[in-house]
Amino acid sequence: VSAPFTVMVTGVSTPIGERLVRELLADSRVGHVMGLTDTPVDRMPLRPSPRLSLHQVDLSRERHTHRLLFGEGRKRELRVVVHTAMHRSAWAEGEKVRELNVEGTRILLSLCERHPSIRRLVVRSAAEVYSVQRDLPVLIGEDHPLNMLPNAPQWVRDRVEADLTVCARMGLSKVQMCVLRMAEALGPGTGSQLYDYLESRVCLRPAGFDPMMNLLTIHDSAVALQKAVHSEAQGVFNVPGADTLPLSACIHQWGRIGIPVPGAWMTPLYRWRRRFTGHDFRYGMNRRRFHYSGILDGSRAREVLGYVPCHPVEWPVADPPR
Amino acid sequence: MPFPPALAAAVARRFLSEAERARLQDLHYRDAGHGYDPFGMHPAFVGFGEAIVQPLYDRYFRVQTYGTEHIPASGPGVLASNHSGQVPIDGMMLWLAVLRSTDPPRIARPIADHFVPALPWIGTLFARGGMVGGSRGNARALLDAGELLMIFPEGVPGITKPWSKRYQLQDFRVGHAELAIRHRAPIIPVAVVGAEEQLPQLFASRRLGRLVGSPVLPVPAVPFPLPVRYHIHFGAPIPVPRDYRPDQADDPDAVAEAAGRVQEAVAALLAEGLRRRKSIFL
Repeated sequence: VSAPFTVMVTGVSTPIGERLVRELLADSRVGHVMGLTDTPVDRMPLRPSPRLSLHQVDLSRERHTHRLLFGEGRKRELRVVVHTAMHRSAWAEGEKVRELNVEGTRILLSLCERHPSIRRLVVRSAAEVYSVQRDLPVLIGEDHPLNMLPNAPQWVRDRVEADLTVCARMGLSKVQMCVLRMAEALGPGTGSQLYDYLESRVCLRPAGFDPMMNLLTIHDSAVALQKAVHSEAQGVFNVPGADTLPLSACIHQWGRIGIPVPGAWMTPLYRWRRRFTGHDFRYGMNRRRFHYSGILDGSRAREVLGYVPCHPVEWPVADPPR
Repeated sequence: MPFPPALAAAVARRFLSEAERARLQDLHYRDAGHGYDPFGMHPAFVGFGEAIVQPLYDRYFRVQTYGTEHIPASGPGVLASNHSGQVPIDGMMLWLAVLRSTDPPRIARPIADHFVPALPWIGTLFARGGMVGGSRGNARALLDAGELLMIFPEGVPGITKPWSKRYQLQDFRVGHAELAIRHRAPIIPVAVVGAEEQLPQLFASRRLGRLVGSPVLPVPAVPFPLPVRYHIHFGAPIPVPRDYRPDQADDPDAVAEAAGRVQEAVAALLAEGLRRRKSIFL
C-alpha cells in the first residue's frame, strides 16, 4: 500500500472543484490537497485544515504557478495535478479569457513536466469539444470528430485547444496525462448552458426536433475525477452522466413549460433574453445539439477507470437557486 | 418530441388489442434511464407506431410474410432489403412485419439516410420508433448491443427509381456487408414485392429535393399510394460469421463479395416472389 500522497486541484471555487476536494479529503489514500482558486481564500466555502491548503493563484501567470508548484508543491512531494479551472460564461471572450483557458493549461502542463515529483496530470475537458451533426454518430466515442468550426464561439474553441494541447503531449512525457471529456454537469455555477436555459419558466425549443441529451451531476463529475487521480491510465476518456433523455423531457422534469418555436426565432429570442435578464444561455452555441442527438459513450472510462455514473439528476428542481 | 410518451401509450391502448399490448411489454431494448434508449427509441412510441401502421399493414396493403423463421430471435443481425416506392412505406411494413413475427418482439432498427434525422417532426417520430441515422458509428453501436438492423443497400437510388426500373435492383452499397463481417452478424436477405408499384413516378427532381432537405424528391403520378398487396419474403441468413473472419472487414474484395452474395440472394427472392404473385393487387 503506497503512502498517502498530495494532490493539487485547480478551480476549487467551482462546484465541481469544491466537490472533488471534499471527496479527496474523505479519501484515506490522499494525504494533502492543495486547492487553487482565483477568488480570495477567505470567501471560499472550503476552510484550510492540516490536510487542505488553499491558494489564490492566477493560472495565466507562469510565475505564480511556478512559485506554488516548485515551492510548497515540491516540499509536499506533489504527485497528482487535477486541472478543472476554465472560464464558465459562454459570453466571456477576449485575450484574458484565452489566457486562463488555453495558456493556463499550457503553463501547467509545461511545469508538471519539469516538476521533480508530479507523476500525473488530470484535465477536465468538456463534451462540447465534440462536433454534433446529423451525419455523425449519436453515440460519441473518443475518436469522434472535434468541433473545429471556424465560427465556433471562443468558449468552444478554447476548450478544444486546451484539450488538444494536453493530448499532443500524451505519451511523450514522464507525466501520465488523462483528459476527461465530461458531459454537461447540470448545476449552478458549473457553466452549464442547459442549466441556465432551464432557469426560465418557459423554455423555447426548435419545433420538430427533440434531441437526446446526456447529463452529469456534480457528484459524478467529482467521482470520475477522483477515479482518474488514482488510475495509472493515460488517454482521453468520455465521462457521461446517468441521465439520458430528450430535451423535452428535461424541460418537463424540471417543471418548466416547453414551447416549440421555429428554429430561426431561437437566436434572436434568446439574445433578447440575455439582454433583458442577463442569462448566459447562448443559442447559437447550442443550435446543433438542440437539433441532433449526441450522447457520450463511456465504455472506455468504465473499462479503464472503473467509472460508472450512479448519481442521477434529482428531478424536479422546483426553483433552482441562481 | 411531437407529443409525450403518455399520449403515444394512450393511442396504443385505444387501437391495439390487449394481447398485443401484453406482448409488447416483453420488448427488449436498452433503457438509458428515462424510458428512452440512447438513440431516442421509446416503447410507448413503438406501440403507437404499430397502432398507426397496422391499418395500412392489415387492410390497405394486406401484407403477407414468408420465411419469418429466418429472422434471428436474438443477437445481432442485418436485414438487407430491396427499396422502392418513392416513399419509405416498405420500411414501415418491414418494421411491423418483424415486430409481429418475433416473440419476444424485436425491433428492426431502420438505418436511414443522413437527411432523415434532419427532417423536422418526421426525424423525431421515426427515431422514437427505432430509426437511427445512417452513420457507421450508429450501426456499429447497435450491432455491438446485439440489435437487428434494417438496411436498404440500394439507398436513395432504389426508392426513387422510375416505373421502368421496377424490380431491377440498383447497385448495392457495401457498408452493410462490412458491418456484418466486422461484428459477426448474419445477413438476412429480404425481398419486398408490391412496393415497387405503389406510387408510379412521374419524375424526380433534385431541385425540389433540396427544398425539403432530401437529395431528390420523386413526384408520383398518383396522389396517394395504390392499394397494392405487399409480399415480404425473408430468405435464409447468409452465415457471415462462418464464412468471413472479422479482419476481412478491411478487405475490399471480401466485402464486395459478401455484398454481391446479398444482392444475388435478394434478387433470387424477388424473382421467386414475383413468380408466386398472382397480381399486383391480390
